[in-house]
Amino acid sequence: MTRESRMTHEIRHVDATAVVSLRGEVDLEHSPAAREVLLSCVRSGRSLIVDLSGVEYIDSSGIASLVEAFQESRKRGSRFSLAAVSPSALRVFELARLDRVFTLHPSLEEALADG
Amino acid sequence: MSDRAALPTEPGALADPLALVAELSGAFASTGDVEATIQRAVERITEHVGAEGGALFLFEEGADGARELVCRASTGPVRITGLRLSPTQGIVGRCCESERLQHVRDVRDDPNWEPAVDAETGFTTRSILCAPLIVQDERLGAIELVNKQSGDGLFAPGDARLLEALASSAALALHDARITARLLERELLEREVQVAGEIQRSMLPVARPAPFPLAGVNVPARGVSGDFYDWLELPDGRIVFCVGDVSGKGIDAAILMAKTASLFRCIARDGTDPGPILGRLNDEILETVTRGMFVTLAVGRLDPGHGTVRLAAAGHPPTLVRDADGRWHEIPSGAPPLGIGPLPEPGQPPEVELSLAGGSVYLFTDGVTESQGPGEGMLGVEGLRHAIDERIALPARARLDALVASLRARGPRDDLTLLVVDGASAPPEQADVVPLLSLRFAARPERLGEVRDAVAEACRTAGCQEPCTRDVVLAVDEACQNVIRHAYRGDPDGEIEVEMSRDGERLVIYLRDFAPRVDPEAIRPRKLDDVRPGGLGTHFIQELMDEETYLDASPGPGNLLRMVKRIG
Repeated sequence: MTRESRMTHEIRHVDATAVVSLRGEVDLEHSPAAREVLLSCVRSGRSLIVDLSGVEYIDSSGIASLVEAFQESRKRGSRFSLAAVSPSALRVFELARLDRVFTLHPSLEEALADG
Repeated sequence: MSDRAALPTEPGALADPLALVAELSGAFASTGDVEATIQRAVERITEHVGAEGGALFLFEEGADGARELVCRASTGPVRITGLRLSPTQGIVGRCCESERLQHVRDVRDDPNWEPAVDAETGFTTRSILCAPLIVQDERLGAIELVNKQSGDGLFAPGDARLLEALASSAALALHDARITARLLERELLEREVQVAGEIQRSMLPVARPAPFPLAGVNVPARGVSGDFYDWLELPDGRIVFCVGDVSGKGIDAAILMAKTASLFRCIARDGTDPGPILGRLNDEILETVTRGMFVTLAVGRLDPGHGTVRLAAAGHPPTLVRDADGRWHEIPSGAPPLGIGPLPEPGQPPEVELSLAGGSVYLFTDGVTESQGPGEGMLGVEGLRHAIDERIALPARARLDALVASLRARGPRDDLTLLVVDGASAPPEQADVVPLLSLRFAARPERLGEVRDAVAEACRTAGCQEPCTRDVVLAVDEACQNVIRHAYRGDPDGEIEVEMSRDGERLVIYLRDFAPRVDPEAIRPRKLDDVRPGGLGTHFIQELMDEETYLDASPGPGNLLRMVKRIG
């Protein structure tokens, strides 16, 4: 029996920046996939913007994937930011007190302009 | 180990028997292997006196229960270890019977001589020196030496004195070794009983502070108890409880008690009524119970929402109800004890439902009412009522403790077990408890999506707004993740149960797993300024819910988390 995956992702390259758009539900089942995608982008040496506009749900394991990618990029001296965090995801960042750790941009455009 | 060469070996030497005595006593005292020590003693004594052969006989109980003299050690050209004689047979028997040293210069002239052994072994016995082993008037056996090797082949008076000295010392050492072994065995047994008692106590429910309406006590008469009590909270807030008494007092009773208590939990968990619980328990116990053993059991269920108690009992002393006006009512058992035979039609005891209305209900075992003070009759049901009346002002738990303390002061006793359902500490809530969701699912990440959908649906049904719904969904999800990661440690065969209900303006969620116990401390939230992945879930739960309590899920494995969120 196949199930429709509750999370999808898309990678675009804008100049030297990778934009990863996560959509759906970043939960315990799907955060390992998110983690792989994010880490491989960081390791490619590009700046990374994670577009969260399509994220309907994120839990502590999803947050953990973002934290890991964030730490990896900081180790490499590359840029890492989050864009268009939906209100429900923002609530989780606030709970984790990570809203002050990550660079949050209201929209993808602003994130790209900043990069 | 002492050096053999250091001891005098000159035949018949009386030079240093004390050294040999000391060696033998030391050997008995220092080893748990009595058999090997006896053998060594016989060899050393035979060698020391210069005899051709030697044997040590001990009194033992034979297969038919009769006393026998059994050869437990022997040395010389013919070994007779294992030879069994009647207590008065032969020269050894006479030695034991008379409790005197026997010196036979020529066995052929002795009326008690039995030539059968020689005939069988081909050995020729000429002279015998035999000394009894006696300690404090207790005949242990005798030690026998055969055929002096030197000189004229006869034992000298010095040999006799030496053997007597060695025999009395060996007897003492043997006696001590036996006492030590017995003590050791008793100590081991006591320790096992102690461990069994500890396991039993761990099966009793953990005391809960007021306003929890139940309290219980169990004081075993010995290390283990044949009594038990238990309670179990159902997801809808009702509480099932029981008090039981298994016939007998020993380990067999303790094992049947453990079995009954476990079965009770299994059967009661799904909300089965008290009567059918007893019916099913009887069926289960009948299948495997040892003949002649039985269980008396009273089962009840408290509905705190309505302040009602439903009761049923099998072969148990009456359940006592004290109403708010202090009047007593007795509810007798409606069926014979469990484990005797099929219960009379309809296969389960009748149930009684009563309104608590500020009163209290007492379940107890017969050890309570049969307790007897010096020069007094048994306490009886009447006496128990009176004893409770006297202490009614105390809170439930303290009331039971005071009761038990007064019973213990009365003297030797049976197991004492009491349970109270206290209506005074459980004012009927006017809340209407509405079940919303009951799910059991495999503890796997890929199942969590559907669980979230179901929890969200239940929240909306209960009237939660979206932000509240999102918070509850996240909290339940995080709690499930904790179970998957920390309790089952990724074991894909584990299961999780989620029960949600609405209790007035609150959502009450129970999350249960069946994994080994996890210390809630082990998953406590980390410091938030420590930015690293993982460890956030428990912190989220605390932030998102109004209450979260790790409840005791015993007996059996598993963890139970209760979360409450005000509907908003």
